[in-house]
Amino acid sequence: MTGKTFFVDLSRCTGCRGCQIACKQWKNKPVEPTENTGSHQNPPDLSWQTLKVVRFSEKTIDGKFHWLFLPDQCRHCLDAPCKMVGDAEVPDAIMQDPQTGAVVFTEKCKGLNAQGIREACPYDIPRVDKATKLMYKCDLCNDRIHAGMVPSCVQTCPTGTMNFGDRDEMLALARDRLAKLKVKFPKAELVDADSVRVIFLCTQPPSAYYKHLQFGDAGPRPLSRKAFLAKVMRPLRAFS
Amino acid sequence: MTNHWIDIVNSDCIFIIGSNAAENHPISFKWVLRAKDKGATMIHVDPRYTRTSQHADVFARLRSGSDIPFFGGLIRYILANNLIFKDYVVNYTNASFILSDKYDFKDGLFSGFDAEKRAYDKSAWSFAKDDQGRIKKDPTLNNPRCVYQIMKTHYDRYDMKSVSAITGTPVADLQRVYQTYAATGKPEKSGTMLYAMGQTQHTVGVQNIRAMTIIQLLLGNMGVAGGGINALRGEANVQGSTDQGLLYHILPGYIPTPTAAMQTLVEFNEKNTPVTKEPQSANWWGNRPKYLASFLKSMYPNQDLETGYSYLPKLEPGKDYSWLSLFDAMLGGAFKGFFAWGQNPAASTANSNKTREAMTKLDWMVTVNMFETETGSFWKGPGMDPKKVKTEVFYLPCAVSFEKEGSISNSGRWMQWRNVAQPPSGDSKPDGDIIYELFEKIRELYAKEGGAYPDPIKNLNWDVATNHAFDPHKVAKRINGYFLTEKTLKVGDADKTFKPGDPVPGFALLQNDGSTCSGTWVYCGSYTDKNMAARRDKSQTAMQAKIGLFPAWSWAWPVNRRIIYNRASVDPQGKPYQPDKPVIAWVNGKWEGDVPDGPWPPMADVEKGKFPFIMTTDGMGQIFGPGRNDGPLPEHYEPLECPIAENPFSKQLHNPTALKFTGPADIHASCDPRYPFVCSTYRVTEHWQTGVMTRNSPWLLEAEPQMFCEMSPELATMRGIKNGEKVILESTRGSLWAKAIVTERIQPFTVLGQTIHQVGIPWHFGWTWPVNGGDSANILCPSVGDPNTGIPETKAFMVNVRKA
Amino acid sequence: MEWNRREFLKIAGATTAVTAFGGLGFDLTPARAEGQAAKLKFTKQTTSVCCYCSVGCGLIASTDKDGKGKVVNIEGDPDHPINEGALCPKGASHYQLGKNDRRILKVLYRAPYSENWEEKSWDWALDRIARKVKESRDGSFVTKDAKGRVVNRCEGIASVGSAAMDNEECWIYQAMLRAMGLNYIEHQARI
Repeated sequence: MTGKTFFVDLSRCTGCRGCQIACKQWKNKPVEPTENTGSHQNPPDLSWQTLKVVRFSEKTIDGKFHWLFLPDQCRHCLDAPCKMVGDAEVPDAIMQDPQTGAVVFTEKCKGLNAQGIREACPYDIPRVDKATKLMYKCDLCNDRIHAGMVPSCVQTCPTGTMNFGDRDEMLALARDRLAKLKVKFPKAELVDADSVRVIFLCTQPPSAYYKHLQFGDAGPRPLSRKAFLAKVMRPLRAFS
Repeated sequence: MTNHWIDIVNSDCIFIIGSNAAENHPISFKWVLRAKDKGATMIHVDPRYTRTSQHADVFARLRSGSDIPFFGGLIRYILANNLIFKDYVVNYTNASFILSDKYDFKDGLFSGFDAEKRAYDKSAWSFAKDDQGRIKKDPTLNNPRCVYQIMKTHYDRYDMKSVSAITGTPVADLQRVYQTYAATGKPEKSGTMLYAMGQTQHTVGVQNIRAMTIIQLLLGNMGVAGGGINALRGEANVQGSTDQGLLYHILPGYIPTPTAAMQTLVEFNEKNTPVTKEPQSANWWGNRPKYLASFLKSMYPNQDLETGYSYLPKLEPGKDYSWLSLFDAMLGGAFKGFFAWGQNPAASTANSNKTREAMTKLDWMVTVNMFETETGSFWKGPGMDPKKVKTEVFYLPCAVSFEKEGSISNSGRWMQWRNVAQPPSGDSKPDGDIIYELFEKIRELYAKEGGAYPDPIKNLNWDVATNHAFDPHKVAKRINGYFLTEKTLKVGDADKTFKPGDPVPGFALLQNDGSTCSGTWVYCGSYTDKNMAARRDKSQTAMQAKIGLFPAWSWAWPVNRRIIYNRASVDPQGKPYQPDKPVIAWVNGKWEGDVPDGPWPPMADVEKGKFPFIMTTDGMGQIFGPGRNDGPLPEHYEPLECPIAENPFSKQLHNPTALKFTGPADIHASCDPRYPFVCSTYRVTEHWQTGVMTRNSPWLLEAEPQMFCEMSPELATMRGIKNGEKVILESTRGSLWAKAIVTERIQPFTVLGQTIHQVGIPWHFGWTWPVNGGDSANILCPSVGDPNTGIPETKAFMVNVRKA
Repeated sequence: MEWNRREFLKIAGATTAVTAFGGLGFDLTPARAEGQAAKLKFTKQTTSVCCYCSVGCGLIASTDKDGKGKVVNIEGDPDHPINEGALCPKGASHYQLGKNDRRILKVLYRAPYSENWEEKSWDWALDRIARKVKESRDGSFVTKDAKGRVVNRCEGIASVGSAAMDNEECWIYQAMLRAMGLNYIEHQARI
């Protein structure tokens, strides 16, 4: 099973947040109360209402100022630590679609230790609705994929940042773009390409965008089951 | 736009100035980035670093209000280094025209200035004529009185050092921008200039655009694929609403509104029909009488043309009726009644406190909208005591765009038809039905009771509905135009007889004798045998595919021409200057590609060929523009509120002809220590205009929830402000709070040796909603305007910022 | 309609999505409201153009009950040559203009010196507005200016609006205003 993959070319992202809103539109998600805290990033983080958030970061790298944008979402790991942890508590609370590879939280997630699931995630993605105990994250728009449509965020992206297709095809596209961008950005890299279905291409160091963009950048996750990680994170940065 | 959105992909260099396209026209970046994929360079020039700047190959900062020196320096660079597209400049522009002896320029003033009236006598800027009335020219461009040499002298003062000193742009950045953009002067290269309100909302707004025009003409960038002067307009149908004449100074189709000095149609035509002695000039506005006659017949089909003309209200000559003057008059108690139709002037007008106060002087106001607005509810707004406000207010709820059908015209002049996806919600109605039903009632009253001059009301062709519902198809057909009497006309080489009711196929067939009607002549051809705006056919020829033309998708005015002035994209023989991206080409005695600017052969055919700039009287691109109110060549003046005491370029600190007012609400503060910072207003991606629709869309409000003020870390430190804290901004006109966004994207400028800070605020918020969202940025803005357009100067004015 | 519905014909299969997925033997009932494709069941697709900036992006609206009900989804039109299916956040939020608790859906009236809005009928409001217009027009109509020139203008009423209207609406609006003799006719293009 090769399944589906997102290739997210951050060199093209304008931070327009079309994806953030299109995600809410398709899923008809409620809003959370927000305020301006000195940043354009809002909501400030992922939440059970917000499955995709564009993160804004201002960094000066090698003397050049950058305003970096990261449309953050679940990476749909090939071997998903959240699922491994979840299966130990409530089998099949977290499912992986064998056709697409989408990692999907089901109603049974109510029975999971939400904190543990979140900590198992190398990218700090899953969130819980405390009122219902249901857990939420991006589901790859698995319903759209099965209907022959592309995921909502990909459909709406104006710039070609969000790309979606069969994994082989996306890997080829990612490698091709990386090679082209290397000329201007020698440090460009594909993030954790071997282990995830949402592959980010960065022209700047991943940590400049967000501490959890690349696994390990934020230091070790407070994992209860480190053993899983050792298995999951085997072949890091094969293309970098 | 002279060009269109997709055409950006054809550009070799995209120069974005006075626009934050990535944030405010996000889909434009689909085409900007694709152009970059093909090797194009992108330049962004702006007071602050935005999401647009992040993708620029070259980014340069300039102090808000200093665009003309920035452009002046570029013009000087092009001329000094001889980087012009010489054939283009000589053949297609007025660079070779020789000026009359009356033209002069001294110390910031052009000849013809009347200090008392603060206005120019524009006849002082005319061209020298020979004894046959033809303009004298020097194609060698050496005559010291020719436009080229006059321009060269004019801009010689804008050297790199002087420009850097006033703009605050480092010389190295100026050099990079100038060098990069001037490279598009090569015949095979094209550069496009994308701008928005960052260029127009100044007291020199029109001259900012004029400066871009000069640059584009010098580099041969007009009419070509990937070129042009491209206004990224802000509303879905602001192009269309302008085309339909919803401005005091124009009737539909850019026909000037008659004044009291033009008592008859004959007089109007004498004064408004340009004539040229240049045999090869198409002088298209020479057709204006046909368009006005057809407009009059679209309004009053049963009246003769003079009677129809007499029905039109006449302006008082010399009097300004534009937006800011309207609200100034309202404050003075000039109006009993007021329509704010799909608009929120209490938040959108510069100097909001003045505007809101003006509304208390009305007896009644009708407002049409979807959500509560600061305008409709002004009587209960901040500082208002409803018990003291006499104004009677009617709020009429209208349908949203997908609850009705009709056409809108985008920035690229594409007229696109929208369909009904759901019926109007609740009691809301499409605007068309509200207008139709209201005027039915007014007509009934006049029919029953008579009243002041009822004839225009009684005789207006009000056949705009079918079964008592507004019928956009019926109106679209009238906008296109149809024959009123039988007429036999030459179409191509053959005679064709048109019957009453037959649609007019194109504006070349409109008549000045009352036999045709057309509501808006530029839309003639849009609704003929079918509704052209509704077309969804992507077929194209191989040549059209090369430059992304979709001639069968929707319809573009004029005559489905997608790139205006495209006769300038070919050499005088009709051969494309840029064979890889040809717009039109003269092949075997006919044109291929886009719809050419007129059917005539190329210009080298001295008998039948025409000059390319068909809308100018003399057929040439206007490097020298004698029609503007504030001068024929752009010259630097500081904003009406500015941080410097003297203009290094002349003794004229401000535009001497700027539109301004003198009441207590109109006090300006330049170099006033109480208001030390330059301020600009702007938009964000997630909101639109005054935010009425977007503040009320929860997903968008969640993403940008509150009024903010962007400022540099230096300014924040100086004022003891921390990121995210509440701050107060104040100008001489009012104050408001905002959340501080302290960011390195904003940097102080060094201007004439002193440090100048600039801050920026969005204008999307208002007191009605959300509860803790803040109020309108326009509370701070001055009601001063450009002398040509009256557009307010909301991009550069002076404020103070302090911790709340 | 002439347009190619290929993209949305695919959605017709959307309703089978959950089945297809479930048919593999998994219980994938996702967390609340996450499976949205079913909302397109029995919808009719209509094209429109975005109401915000003037790029003119194409939209596809899906209306439930085979087009007789309310819009349930709006996204970019993949066939449209400018946006090719893409939308910015404003465009992507169109749905909330159609379904929105804050829409004002009644005619409202505020009497002089009143502190409140009151709901009124269309007939009542239009009758009263027409009366006000006539009073103001008749009371402020100027036939000749100070120099004795015929001007035929109504000086006591002004209008602003609107770039938010369709071309056909704009045209009849200017026709009405000019027939009444207004000179102060302005709109967004000026600001």
